[in-house]
Amino acid sequence: MSSSSQFKQLEKLGNGTYATVYKGLNKTTGVYVALKEVKLDSEEGTPSTAIREISLMKELKHDNIVRLYDVIHTENKLTLVFEYMDNDLKKYMDSRIVGNTPRGLELHLVKYFQWQLLEGLAFCHENKILHRDLKPQNLLINKKGQLKLGDFGLARAFGIPVNTFSSEVVTLWYRAPDVLMGSRTYSTSIDIWSCGCILAEMITGKPLFLGSNDEEQLKLIFDTMGTPNEATWPGVTSLPKYNANFQQRLPKDLKMILQPYCESPLDDTVIDLLHGLLQLNPDMRLSAKQALHHPWFAEYYQ
Amino acid sequence: MSAQFEMQLYLSRPYLTRQQILCAQKNTIHDRRSYNRKKLLIIKFLTDLTLQLNLPRKTLETAIYYYQRYHLFNLFETELCYTVATSCLVLGCKQAETFKKANEICTLSLRLRKMSNINSEVLDAFKKRIFQIELRILESCGFDYRVNNYVHIDDYIFKFGKTYALDVNICHTAWIIAYDVLKLDLLLTVPQHIIALATLKVACKLLEKPENLCSQYEMGNTDRDLINEAYFSIINFYINAFDLCDLKDNLPSYIPPISIERFMVLKANSGPEEGLTELTESDVGSDRFLEEQRQYSVRERRYVLSTDIMRDEVEALKISGR
Repeated sequence: MSSSSQFKQLEKLGNGTYATVYKGLNKTTGVYVALKEVKLDSEEGTPSTAIREISLMKELKHDNIVRLYDVIHTENKLTLVFEYMDNDLKKYMDSRIVGNTPRGLELHLVKYFQWQLLEGLAFCHENKILHRDLKPQNLLINKKGQLKLGDFGLARAFGIPVNTFSSEVVTLWYRAPDVLMGSRTYSTSIDIWSCGCILAEMITGKPLFLGSNDEEQLKLIFDTMGTPNEATWPGVTSLPKYNANFQQRLPKDLKMILQPYCESPLDDTVIDLLHGLLQLNPDMRLSAKQALHHPWFAEYYQ
Repeated sequence: MSAQFEMQLYLSRPYLTRQQILCAQKNTIHDRRSYNRKKLLIIKFLTDLTLQLNLPRKTLETAIYYYQRYHLFNLFETELCYTVATSCLVLGCKQAETFKKANEICTLSLRLRKMSNINSEVLDAFKKRIFQIELRILESCGFDYRVNNYVHIDDYIFKFGKTYALDVNICHTAWIIAYDVLKLDLLLTVPQHIIALATLKVACKLLEKPENLCSQYEMGNTDRDLINEAYFSIINFYINAFDLCDLKDNLPSYIPPISIERFMVLKANSGPEEGLTELTESDVGSDRFLEEQRQYSVRERRYVLSTDIMRDEVEALKISGR
C-alpha cells in the first residue's frame, strides 16, 4: 500500500500463513489499524483462508473478537483492515521469560484473560462459528488488558451439520484428542480443548502438551489425563486412528503438575475448571457458556 | 499518475429490488435479449461443470449468484461470459467449501467448450484471467459473503421440511423448482431461506396440500413481503417462460401434468400480487451505487459492511475540512 493511500503503512507486525500484517494509521480518522496484506496465489487465486476469514469476521461484532473494518482492493492486492491490538498473548508470555525459565501470568490476569477468551468464544459458538485454531498467537491483547480472538483463517460455520470437516486443523499443541484420533464430526468442543490448554499455559508460562507429531501429542495428553477406554469415552475405540496398543495411563493430579510453575497457590476451583475444559471425551467437555458460569469466575458474574 | 489520491468507499448492499437491479443493468447490459439467452446457456454450462466435478447444488447456486451479481457492475460481453462463469465457479467452490483445484475446473471448462490444444501455456493464461475476474466478482459483492455463507436454498428446503414435518414429495418438488429459480434474478433480491420457503409454498399448491408454512414460520411483515416477492416471481416465471422451465421435464410421477394454465390458476387463487415495496423511479435513478459503473482506475476501493464506519469517516472529513 503506498503512502498516498487512505492508510499510512507503519511497521511490520508479523507474517501469517497467507498474509503479512502491518500496523497502519487511518489518515482521516487518526485511528490505528492492522493491515493484513493478502498474498494472491498464482495457482489458486484469492486464498480460501482469506475468503473464510472475511466472510466469518464481518459477521462477528463483539468486544472480545477483533473487528474487521473493511476490505481494500488496490492494484491486484487485497488488504484486510482490522482493529489494531498492541500485542498477542504468545509474545506477552515470551516477554516474561527470565533466562530459560518460563513464568506464568498472575492469577488475577489469567482469570481476566480466560474470561474474555470464553466470552469471545461463546459468541462465536452462538453464531455457529468454530474458530478451529485457538492458540496464544491468535489471542490479541492491548494495554488495557483486553483480549480478543483473531485470525479466523481456519474458522468455519457449522450451521448445517457437516461430517466432512478436515482433520488437519488446530495447531498441534492445542489440538483435541478426538481430532488427533481422526474424528471428523467435531464441533464446538474442539475450541474448548484449546481453551483448556491455553488456561494451563497462562498459569505455567509453558505449553501443556508440547508434542512434535500426532502420536507424541496423544501420548503426552494420555500421560497426563489418562488413557481413555470405552467406559470413560464410549465410541473412542471406533475412531479412525484409535490404537488398541496405546499405553494405559491413569490420570495425574493436574494441580501437582501446574503448581511448581505458579508463584501463588492454585485453588481447587481453577483445577476443576481445567478438568471441565480438558475432558478427553468431547461430549463431556463444558461449553463456553457453561465455563463462564463456573465458580472460578464467580466474581465476574455475581 | 494524478497527484491527488483517489479513494472510494462502498457500503455493502447484498440485496436489491427489481427496479434497482434494472437500474444497475442499464449501464452494463446493452442487449438484454442476448444477456438472457446467454444466461440460460451459462446455467446449463455451470450445471454440466458441477455435475462432472461432483459438486453439490449449493456450489452451483453460489456460482450463479456471483455471475448475476458480477453483471450488475461489470459490462456484459458475450465473448467473455464463459470465462466469467468459470471464475464464478472457482470462487463458488471456495465460498461453499467444496474445494476443487482451479486447474481441474479450468481444464474441464476449456474441454466442455471444445477447446483443442489445452497445454500448460493455455491453461496458465486462462487461469490468470480467471483470477483477475475473481477479484472483480468479489468487488461486485462488496466482499460481503453473508449471502452465500451458510444459508443455501436446498439446505433450507430440507431444514424447513424436517421442522414442519412436510411430506417428502413436497420437499422433492420444491427442490426441483429451486433449480428453475436459479434462472431468475431472485438470488439478488431475497435471502436463500426465503426462496426455500417460497419454493415449498409453490410445491404445496401444486400438490394440493394444505399450506400454512407462513403462519408456522414466525415472521414479521418484512419476511412476509419477501416471501410474497419470491412466490410471485416464481409463479410469474412459470407463466411467462414455461418453455424454459426444467420442472415440466423432470416432473415426479406423483404430480399431475402441469401447464401454464395451472400456474395461472395458482396465481389467480393467490390473492393480490404483493412483494417488496419499490422506491420511486427518481430515487432509484439518483442512487450513485447503482447509477455509476465501477471505476477500477480508482486506486483504492474500500468495502465496508457498517454504516458507522462510513459515518465516522465523513464526520472526520468534515472536521478536517477536506
